[in-house]
Amino acid sequence: MTDFLYPFIDAHEEDVDALLVDLASSARAKAAESARLQESSLRELDAEIEACAAAMADRFARGGRLYTFGNGGSSTDAATLASLFSHPASGRPLPAWSLAADQAVVTALGNDVGFELIFSRQVIAHSRSVDVVVAMSTSGNSDDLVSALAEARRRGLLTIGFAGYDGGRMAELTAAGELDHCFTIRSQSIHRIQESQARVGHRLWVRTQDLIEQSRTTATTTPGGAR
Amino acid sequence: MTAAALPVAELMDEELSTDLAAASLALARRYHAGATLWVLSPEWEPHAHHVAVEFVHPVIVGKRALPAFALTGADPIGEARLATRPGDVLLVVAAADDPRIREVVRRAPAWGAETIWIGFGERPEAGAANHVLWVDSSDPMVPATGRFVLMYHLLWELTHVCFEHPGLLQDAQEDCTDDVCITCSDEGRLGEVVMAPVEAYGPALVRTATGEEDVDVTVVGDVVPGDLVLVHAGAALTRLEEVAP
Repeated sequence: MTDFLYPFIDAHEEDVDALLVDLASSARAKAAESARLQESSLRELDAEIEACAAAMADRFARGGRLYTFGNGGSSTDAATLASLFSHPASGRPLPAWSLAADQAVVTALGNDVGFELIFSRQVIAHSRSVDVVVAMSTSGNSDDLVSALAEARRRGLLTIGFAGYDGGRMAELTAAGELDHCFTIRSQSIHRIQESQARVGHRLWVRTQDLIEQSRTTATTTPGGAR
Repeated sequence: MTAAALPVAELMDEELSTDLAAASLALARRYHAGATLWVLSPEWEPHAHHVAVEFVHPVIVGKRALPAFALTGADPIGEARLATRPGDVLLVVAAADDPRIREVVRRAPAWGAETIWIGFGERPEAGAANHVLWVDSSDPMVPATGRFVLMYHLLWELTHVCFEHPGLLQDAQEDCTDDVCITCSDEGRLGEVVMAPVEAYGPALVRTATGEEDVDVTVVGDVVPGDLVLVHAGAALTRLEEVAP
């Protein structure tokens, strides 16, 4: 339909080649931007990652379980983080689940009690005070995540949030002392935020594994509850 | 496993960016012609869901919602066979030695599907898929470090850039005419047997990139559903052997 804009074969071919060069160049620029954000995020969040990993290692050592959740793409990133803990290619498997994984539970809760409660009602059903929750978001504002974090907090769980932009409500909760750890990626791009969140999540897993290994070799306590 | 700084070039070098550009244009052209994207990742299922939601519900307001489904059942080959229609695209996120995925991409030409393979570690052999987008690292933690997420984020972003160039979305293959294009007529085409002959010396029903057709199988002998054959001028010339496990 638009071929009249490109009446000559040669011009057509040249334009395709030019587009491919532009696309490749754009891909490298975006990947470089992602790499820079990942490195700066790891640097900025280093102390918070260490503190959070120590708290998580302590919870796992006492038999705690990890529950992760998010919406949309972030729900899949939360599932990837859960499977990193539960099915690592190396290291010790730790009990972790994604709360978005069961469509029967998610749709039952969404239909019967409202979408903003799909995760908090699962926290009520599943959790004990020794457990850990990780909420992944790019805005830090999602109602269903914030309500689940609040419910987990009331029950004594370790509460961890991943956010982007300025951290949104998760940053406010952290400032008010109502969220234990918050990892905010300073970017305005949802895609770049998610890529850095994956990197920070991976680093959090690495440090948690390290600390569990250290505690095993230096103390009599061993991780429990990991079957 | 250390947090050592990754050089920028390690995330996206010249070669990978060129492969990604070509895959994006191919995907945009297939979408332009009415394709559905099917996504499989048997070992890392969340990645399949992430790709699907990326295309179905774009993060940037105003971008087109496009058909994309994650196929996450217990039988990836059967699911992909049933789902795919000629002109569709199969995107797989898997290691090069995943036997189920190797079968899916091997059979895709008989289903008329173009293939995009995202993975890490040892690369698939040349020509295994139409587009191979490979992370050049053997670190087993790659699937959980955001490298795949970056890859399919960029695939989505570049595909939508292509939509801004509607004059370039006409696939070159659509221009070919019957007599001159070897992919359409002269060479053997890959076919997958759908139904064996119902009587001796009768034709088998075979699926190829252009649909289902009756094919003479007297040269290759007994066939069963699922067999891959090369079809030429209405006859199966060769049966393709199973891939070594």
